[in-house]
Amino acid sequence: MAHVRIENLVKHFDEVLAVNGISLDVRDREFTVFLGPSGSGKTTTLRAIAGLEKPDSGDIYIDDVRVNDLPPADRDIAFVFQFYALYPHLSVYDNLAFPLRAVHMSKADLDERVREVARVLHIEPTLNRKPAKLSGGEQQRVALGRAMVRRPKVFLMDEPLTNLDAKMRAEMRAKLKRDQSDLGATTIYVTHDQVEAMSMGDRIAVMDQGRLLQVGPPEQVYDHPQNLFVAGFIGSPAMNLINCQLGAEGDRPALVVPGSPLSLSIASDLAARLEPARERLVLGIRPEDVHLSRESRPGWIRAEVYVTEPLGAETIVDLHVGGGDAASILRARTLPTFRAAIGEPIWMEFDRERMHCFDRASGQAIS
Amino acid sequence: MNGRLKRTLALTAVGVVLVIYLLPIYWIVATSFKEYGDILARPPRFLFVPTLRNYAALFLLPGQGLQATPFAARLLNSVIIASFSTVLAIALGTMTAYAFSRFRTRGQSDWLFFILSTRMLPPVVVVIPVFLMYRALGLFDTHVGLIMLYTAFNVSFAVWLLKGFMDEIPKEYEEAALVDGYSRLQAFVRVVLPQAVAGIAATSVFCLISAWNEFAFALVLTQRTAQTAPPYIPSVVGSGATEWGRIAAGTVAFLLPVAIFTFIMRKHLLRGATFGALKR
Amino acid sequence: MTVTLARRRRALSDYQVKMLFLMPTLLLLVGMNVFPLIWSLHLSFHDYAADMPGRPPRAVGVANYTALLHDPNLWRNFQVTAEFVVLAVAAQFLIGFGVALLLNREFKGKGLITTLILLPMMLSPAVVGLFWKLILDPNWGLLDFLIRPVTHASVPWLTNDRTALPALVMIDTWMWSPFMMLISLAGLNAVPRHLYEAAEVDRASGWFKFRHITLPLIAPLLLLALIFRTMDAFKLFDMVWVATEGGPGDVTKTVSVGLYVQAFREWRTGEACALAYVLLVVIIALSSLYIRWLSRIRGEA
Repeated sequence: MAHVRIENLVKHFDEVLAVNGISLDVRDREFTVFLGPSGSGKTTTLRAIAGLEKPDSGDIYIDDVRVNDLPPADRDIAFVFQFYALYPHLSVYDNLAFPLRAVHMSKADLDERVREVARVLHIEPTLNRKPAKLSGGEQQRVALGRAMVRRPKVFLMDEPLTNLDAKMRAEMRAKLKRDQSDLGATTIYVTHDQVEAMSMGDRIAVMDQGRLLQVGPPEQVYDHPQNLFVAGFIGSPAMNLINCQLGAEGDRPALVVPGSPLSLSIASDLAARLEPARERLVLGIRPEDVHLSRESRPGWIRAEVYVTEPLGAETIVDLHVGGGDAASILRARTLPTFRAAIGEPIWMEFDRERMHCFDRASGQAIS
Repeated sequence: MNGRLKRTLALTAVGVVLVIYLLPIYWIVATSFKEYGDILARPPRFLFVPTLRNYAALFLLPGQGLQATPFAARLLNSVIIASFSTVLAIALGTMTAYAFSRFRTRGQSDWLFFILSTRMLPPVVVVIPVFLMYRALGLFDTHVGLIMLYTAFNVSFAVWLLKGFMDEIPKEYEEAALVDGYSRLQAFVRVVLPQAVAGIAATSVFCLISAWNEFAFALVLTQRTAQTAPPYIPSVVGSGATEWGRIAAGTVAFLLPVAIFTFIMRKHLLRGATFGALKR
Repeated sequence: MTVTLARRRRALSDYQVKMLFLMPTLLLLVGMNVFPLIWSLHLSFHDYAADMPGRPPRAVGVANYTALLHDPNLWRNFQVTAEFVVLAVAAQFLIGFGVALLLNREFKGKGLITTLILLPMMLSPAVVGLFWKLILDPNWGLLDFLIRPVTHASVPWLTNDRTALPALVMIDTWMWSPFMMLISLAGLNAVPRHLYEAAEVDRASGWFKFRHITLPLIAPLLLLALIFRTMDAFKLFDMVWVATEGGPGDVTKTVSVGLYVQAFREWRTGEACALAYVLLVVIIALSSLYIRWLSRIRGEA
């Protein structure tokens, strides 16, 4: 197993700047997820690590060896493609054996290795069939098997679960994570699905438009987003983001939205930190940190129920606050037993400990 | 009622169209099996007693059994020259098509334009200098000479058609092979070629038919040794009483392989006829 | 167990593979096309007769080209060619498209019938010219028999100076209208059904649907086919040579036929090269049109 390091990777495709100076460290045995929307450069970065794209500048190191000039075959990596790329003219057995034949492994060793991998992934019954005759889940496992059979230093996976249905995807998520942990394999996994990223990654690298925005363990990325993009991208339903200013509530500093009843008193040391960006603040609060009450309470803000979405395990409530230009819709998560009619008045309060403030201009979090 | 009437009319029209297109072909096939008297009969005979005389005369010399008649020799030349030039054109064409499909080359579309435009040139225009060139190089009336020319003639078409087929094979397959430890060349042979087989087969048939049917170059550049069937068959007409029966037999013998191949490749005909513009 | 990072250096790089795959083809094409054409250009400025190799070419500047401009025979040949092209392409287009409209419905054996109709265009034009000679024979030809009740006389199709060219047009149309039919069918099939359905809901007439849905969507393909057939008809040599050798007189002497005669019967090599060049320019203009259109339809640059 190995660690991977990329320094200042830059890659253009004609005029489009796909990767704009990304530097990252992937530690030995770690499951790192590259997360971002399409066009964020995550797949290009992955392919550059594999050697399938040549970067315009920047360095790639596998185990401290600079691999920029090495072809994919010499980097000792395995790649799982989004659409599997299983050789259609070969049986499953031959697909699994293909990488081993390239290094002229002995027939006996090869057979043992292939069967072992097939057993671990539960695809033994399919060994003699051609890929076209397999289900989506089986194909995905064969693709995985073809990567595993080589015991490479690094596993690179490009959205391998995207083509499975929801149920299969959930199953495979758990299985993949378990297998990786058993193998102790250094893995880099690309996805646009933040649920996948959160559930599988030891560390998540959030990317957008060719830049790396934040790297850290899931809890850290979730609880301490460093910028607006990460804050809005991670978490479902998304974090509420409210444009606000530094103002006052009586004689205490507060975050206010002019023209709206939204007003939150804050501590003076927080106010001091927010002072430089006082006119251009963004307040972030996650739906689960918005508390609701049917009765008015001191300090709580009056809102109206806009719509409720009872999901069974919980209920999402959309709340309408204020009016005219300053109107906003906030989402709150609450107990599944919650029922309310559209237009009903409701009072809400934010958990002050779990509020986030951002500078609207730079997008950065203000701690 | 209107719908049914329309349908009947349409089907009748289809029938008429079929007759118009196939009648001449039927006629030639029938003529090849007719006795001389039947051929010259007025009004033309649709019913007759068939004979194999004409075919026999084509392939067998009188009193000498299975000998190489001039026609048989020409037919053999056609087979040799068409096959060899097709094999070469396909080999070169596949490689070139792959290179254009996978490697971005500067000025690629210009090269492709140049390649295809060589196919568009009228043979009569190209043949004059080629004739002089071949005469100077001693390639006049040789199999090699015609094979080289037909290969050049067909490779341009092959590249265009095969590039279309190659473009349809996702490059992820080769990338997987590259990651798995194979070189580019090995990936090409082990992963790409097996998937291109259908396209290669279709293109081969078109090249074969094209070389088989070729007339102008063969007319100018060959004489007796390497002459193929197309320039020979019409030349038989001028000699004395027109042996239409034998000519018809020669024509049918010549057309038969094309008919068979056309039928085999019918799914790809549209593609070949439009240089890959249309698929299905 | 794992493979070491640096390995066999024997493999060819991508660049080397690219060169290996491209060079032979390009060399062959340059050798067989470009080189002869340059030689031909050189000769076009000389007075030379290839049947007398002993006499070296004599430089005459642009005399051959000016002779072309003043040659009434050449203009006549162009005229014949133009007539042929216009008549043949128009006929093929109308018949091909018309038949396609007829066939554009599901019926049993459609696949087989389509294949059968395609047979004529796959045959050698020379051989086609030959067997039509038999069919058109005024004495025992099939066509004569079929239309005798109407015309009450034999028509010597290929030897009469008024019917020779129309006869050739007929043969070419027989060969190639299936091609037009094929393209039209493909185009008609490619029109998404739901467009027609939407029009029906809006109560559009049959003619309206044809004019505003069908025609615009198949126009590009038809144009492609049109350019292709025009180029091909312009180049025509094989069929004409076998059927009439340009005769009677020069009534069916297309430019290609005239060029052949000039080069290989009269052996006026230098002049023939000049004419060949003029033709080359015309063909390149036409084919660049075709190729650009083709690339556009195929969705490439």
